[in-house]
Amino acid sequence: MRKFCTGNHAAGYVLAAAGEANRNARGCVAGGYPITPQTEIMEFLRGFRFTKGRVQAVESEHSAMAMCIGGSISGARTFTASSSNGLMYMAENVFMAGYCRLPVVLAAVNRTIGPPWNIWVDQGDTLALRDTAWLHFYCESHQEVADTILLAFRVAEDSRILLPAIVAFDGFIISHTSAPVDLPEQADVDRYLPPCHVPHRLDHDRPQMLGAMVTPEDTAAHRLELHEAMERVPAVLEQARDEFREVFGRQPDGAISGYRLEDAETVLVASNSIASTVRGVVDKRRRDGERVGMLKIKLFRPFPRHLIRQALKGAKRVGVIDRNVSLGSGGIFWLEICGALFNTPDLILQDYLTGLGGGDVTPEAVENILEDLLARRKSGEPCWKVKAYERMF
Amino acid sequence: MIEIVILGRGGQGGVTLAKLIAMTYFLQGQDAQAFGVYAAERSGAPLRAFVRADNQEILCRNQITEPDHLVVLDRTLVTDHIASGLKPGGWIVLNSPDPPSVFAGEFPGYRIATIDANSIAIACGLGTRTTPIVNTTILGATARVLGETFEAVRAALEELKFVGPNLESARRAYETVSVAETPAGTCSARSSSRSVVTTMSILDPDAGIPPQTQTGSWARQKPMQRSFTSPCNQGCPAGNDVRGFLAAIKEKQFDLALEILHRTTPLPGVCGRVCPAPCMDACHRNELDEPVNIRELERYVADHASPAAAAAMNRNHAVAVIGSGPAGLAAAYHLGRLGYGVTIFEAGSELGGVMRTGIPEYRLPRPVLDREIEHVLEHGVTAQTRCKVGKTELLKFSQRFAAVFVATGLQEARALNLGIQDSTHIMQGIAFLDEALTGHMSLKGERIIVLGGGNTAVDASRTAIRLGASEACIVYRRTRAEMPAIKEEVDEALEEGVLLKELLGPVALNRNGNGSGWTLECQRMRLGEPDQSGRRSPVAIEGEAGRLGLPCDRVILALGQLGDLSLFPEGSEVREGETLIGLTGAPIFAGGDLASNEGTVAAAIGSGRKAAWHIHRTLSGEDLFPKETAPVVSAATIRLTAFQRASQARGSILEPAGRIRSFNEVRVGLSESADHEVAVLESQRCFTCGACTGCDICRANCPEGVLTRRGTDYAFDYDYCKGCGLCAFECPRGVILMEQL
Repeated sequence: MRKFCTGNHAAGYVLAAAGEANRNARGCVAGGYPITPQTEIMEFLRGFRFTKGRVQAVESEHSAMAMCIGGSISGARTFTASSSNGLMYMAENVFMAGYCRLPVVLAAVNRTIGPPWNIWVDQGDTLALRDTAWLHFYCESHQEVADTILLAFRVAEDSRILLPAIVAFDGFIISHTSAPVDLPEQADVDRYLPPCHVPHRLDHDRPQMLGAMVTPEDTAAHRLELHEAMERVPAVLEQARDEFREVFGRQPDGAISGYRLEDAETVLVASNSIASTVRGVVDKRRRDGERVGMLKIKLFRPFPRHLIRQALKGAKRVGVIDRNVSLGSGGIFWLEICGALFNTPDLILQDYLTGLGGGDVTPEAVENILEDLLARRKSGEPCWKVKAYERMF
Repeated sequence: MIEIVILGRGGQGGVTLAKLIAMTYFLQGQDAQAFGVYAAERSGAPLRAFVRADNQEILCRNQITEPDHLVVLDRTLVTDHIASGLKPGGWIVLNSPDPPSVFAGEFPGYRIATIDANSIAIACGLGTRTTPIVNTTILGATARVLGETFEAVRAALEELKFVGPNLESARRAYETVSVAETPAGTCSARSSSRSVVTTMSILDPDAGIPPQTQTGSWARQKPMQRSFTSPCNQGCPAGNDVRGFLAAIKEKQFDLALEILHRTTPLPGVCGRVCPAPCMDACHRNELDEPVNIRELERYVADHASPAAAAAMNRNHAVAVIGSGPAGLAAAYHLGRLGYGVTIFEAGSELGGVMRTGIPEYRLPRPVLDREIEHVLEHGVTAQTRCKVGKTELLKFSQRFAAVFVATGLQEARALNLGIQDSTHIMQGIAFLDEALTGHMSLKGERIIVLGGGNTAVDASRTAIRLGASEACIVYRRTRAEMPAIKEEVDEALEEGVLLKELLGPVALNRNGNGSGWTLECQRMRLGEPDQSGRRSPVAIEGEAGRLGLPCDRVILALGQLGDLSLFPEGSEVREGETLIGLTGAPIFAGGDLASNEGTVAAAIGSGRKAAWHIHRTLSGEDLFPKETAPVVSAATIRLTAFQRASQARGSILEPAGRIRSFNEVRVGLSESADHEVAVLESQRCFTCGACTGCDICRANCPEGVLTRRGTDYAFDYDYCKGCGLCAFECPRGVILMEQL
C-alpha cells in the first residue's frame, strides 16, 4: 500500500509486520529504549498490538539488546532500533548477539556519536560496530529501508547464516523526512518470511549453557565458523532478493548497485542517501558528455570485495565519499575499498571525507569532489572536504 | 520540480505544514518530500521546513537554498534577507493581518500573499491564544496561491486525519487570502550566499561565551521574582509574622524571634499554650508530612528568650481600655508602644480576663500569665482592678479620655432550664472554674456531669477530676466530630478518665426518690441536616427508646456565653472597627469576643491591635493598617521534593495518672538544651513559603545561566532567558512566577 510517511514510520511498520509474521511460531520480542532520531520507531512498535509478541521498554540500550538476546535465545523473532551513543551503550551486547549467532535485526538510524553533542547524521555509529559479526546494510531511501528490513530478516534467520543484521539509514534525511513508500501487506510478509527457527535456542528439555568459557583453539575455530557464515551471505542474499521479487513484484538492490557504471571512467562511490544526490550529479555530468558513474555500496558486512573489484574494473579514477572517519587513518568505506582494490597500480583511488557530523551534502559539494578527483594525477591522503559545505543554520 | 521553504517558529506546526503541502502533491501522483531542519526543537525557536514535489523521482536530499516559493508563519521572522535565494517571481505567503502592499517595498519582484492566520487559528480553537497553531490555515492560503484545488487540500488533511476545525481554518484562508504582485523593480538578484562556517578548537576555553544568538527573543513567558504572604501569616488571627519568627529561630536568634512576635502579640507564652493554631492547619508542610509545630515554637521562644526593653515615648493622649482579657491587653500594649498613656479598668480582682478565670492552670500556669501581663504594663500602661464600668462610667470616660476601647468579653453564660433552681447542684462552667481557683473547692466522691462541647466543657470536666470527682462525664447532644473544643484537649481529657456520652440532650434534673443523688433525664439524639454552623443538627429520637437517665451529683453547664451590652447606650450596635455613633466626646471602640465572638485568644489579640490602630489613626492621622498584602502563596507552587521528610518535634506531656492529682502544667513543651537543638531543627522544617531565602536552586537549575543573585534578589538576563520555566518550577518556596509575554 502506497503511503506518504517518514522513514521511521516505514521502519517501524515493517519491523512490526515481520514480528507479526512469526505469530504461528514463537512470536516476537523487542527491547526498546528511545534516542533521537529513532524514537518514533520504538513508539510505533510499542503501539502495535502483536498477536504473539512483546515490545518492552527497558532502562537502557544495553538492556534493550539484552532483551533481544533473551528473546532470540528463546526462539522468538527479535528486533530493536537505536542510534549513536545508544548503539555504543549497547555495544557489548551487540558483540554477544553476533558471536552467539542470534539473528536479531536492528534498525540503526545513523547519528553522530557525541560529544560534542550532535543529533545529525554520520555513519560512524554503525561503522563502530563493524567487527561484531553482524551483517550491515546501508540504505539509500525510504523504500530501500522498508524492503531491506525484510531482506535482513530473511538472510539473518536463514539456517546457513544465523547472524544478526543491522539495517542503517540516515538520521533526519530519511528518518524524519516524509516521502512516498510502498509498504508491504501483512499477508505478503507472511508469505515472504518463513517462521523464525533458532536451532541452538535454549530448551528446558535439553538444558545447556550458551557462551561459556573456552580455550584459545576453540575460540579461533569459532571465529572461523562465523567467517564461513559470512562468506555464505552473498549467495543467500541473492536468493532472498529473488524470493522478494516473486512476492512483491520488485527487486531491492543487492550488495552493490552501479549507476551508469558500465562505461564510466570516473566513479564516485557512495552509500546511504548521499547516493541519491550523487545520482543526480552523474545525470547532469552525463548530459555534458562526461563518462561518470556511481557505485553504491549497500552491503558493508560482509564486505563484497570481489563484486567491487568487478564493478570497478574499467574505472580510472575512483572517489570514495565517506560520511565517517576512523581517526588516525581515514574514511572507513575507503579503507575497505583499499583492501578490495590493492594491487591496482594504475588506479587513482581517493577518499573524500564530507558531511561529517551531519553537514548538508549538496549537489554542489559533490561536484566539487568530482572536480578534485578529475584534476588529480595520483592518489593522495584522505581529503577533508569539511569546509566545502556552508553553514547549516 | 517545485521547491518551497517554510520559515516558522517551533509550536506553529511548520514541519507538519510541509507534510501537508507535500501530501497534496503526493495524492495527485507526484513524488514528494517534506522535512524540517531539526536543532533547537522547542517552542519559539526559529526553524525551517522544506517541500519538494516533482513528476519524476526526486534525487535531491539536501536543504533547499533556492526555493520557488517562501512561506512565513511568523511575522517576527520577516527580515530583509529571508528572501535570499528565492527565485524571482516566486510567492511569499505571510502570516500577517496587513495587506500585501505593506510588504511590497521589502520584496520587489515577488508575488506577496498575506493571511491573518493567527486570528483564524484562534477562532477555530487551534492551539492557544498566545501560541496558535497556524499551519492548517497557512496550508489553505498557500494552496490557493499555488493554484491547487480546495479538494486537494481537503484530501491532504483527511489523509493525516485532520478534520473539523483544521479543515475549517484551511477553508477560511483558502477563501480570504489577499494577494498582490509587486512591481518587478530592482529585484536585487540575491544569491544564496550564506555565511562562511566559523569553527572553534576543542581546546579553546572561551569559545561560544556568551552565545551570539540572543535566544531571549524566543521566549513566550518570562520569570519574575515575587514575594507572597505565607499561609501561616495569613491564617494567624493575631496577625503574627509566623514565617518571620521561624526564620529567626532557624538562625538561632531567639531574642530576635521574640522581638518579631512582640511586634504583634504581647502574649506569646499564652498562645503558645492555648491557641488552636490555625497557622498549623494552614501550614503547607501538611502537604509533605506534618505541619511545623508553630505553637510549641512560639511557646519555646516565649519561655526562653529575653524581651527587649520597652522604648519610652510620650504622646499627649490618654486612652481607656475596659477589660483586661487578651483583647484589652493587646490594645493597651500597642497603644502603649505607640506612646499613649493607657489605663485599663478591670472588673475582677486580677488582670487577665478569661485567661485567668476561664483557662485552668494546668493549661496556662499563672506565672506565665503574670509575666506577660507585667510586660504589657511596662509599656506605660496602668491598671485598676475591681472597677466595674457601667453606662454612667462609660459616658464619663468618653469625656475624660481621648478614646475608649471596650473589650469586656462574654460575661453572661447561657442558661438552661432543667426544672430546678438549685445553684449547688447546677452551676455555670465559668463560675465553677473561677471557684476552683480559690483552692477551697472539693468534689470528692461526686459524680459530675458537664453539659456542652466547647473548651469550657472540657476544662470543667478535667478540673472536676482534679478536684476529686469520682466521675466526670461530658454529655453532648452531637458527636465528638462536631465538638468545637480543641481536639488535643479532648484527647487529654479522655486520657485523664473523663467520659464522653454523645448524642444526648438534657431534659430535666430530678432528685432521686430514695435520696441518694440525682438523675439527669436525657433525650437520645440522632444527627439530621446541617444547620447554620454547618454541623449536622441533633434531632430527638421519640418514644420510650429515646429516654435515658444518668445518675449524678452535680451538673455543670458550659453551653456558651453572651456579651453583656448593658454598659452601652440604648440601641447601640457593636461592630468591630467602628465607633459607637451618636455619642459626644471621645470615640468608643469595641472589640474582642464582645464584638465578634471568635472565641480565641489569638483573635482577641488581633482585634485589640486593630482597635489600637483605629484609635491611633483617629487621634494622630497616621494609618498603620497594611496597604496591600501580597497574595498567599499557593501550595501547588511549593516544590515538595526539594524537602526531606522529617517528623514533627512534639512537646512532651505528663502521664495521665500523675497529672490528675494536681493543677501542674500538663504539657511540658519541646525538649530544652543549651543549644536549643530541638527547637532549631523543628524551625528548619519550615519551607519559608513565598519568601526567597537565596537558596540558589533556581540558579543551579537554569540551563542558560541567566540568573544572578545579590542577597535574596535575583536578576534575570532576559536577553538569553528562553522562558523554559525551570526556575519557577524548581523554586522550593514558590517565589518565581512565569508571566506570559
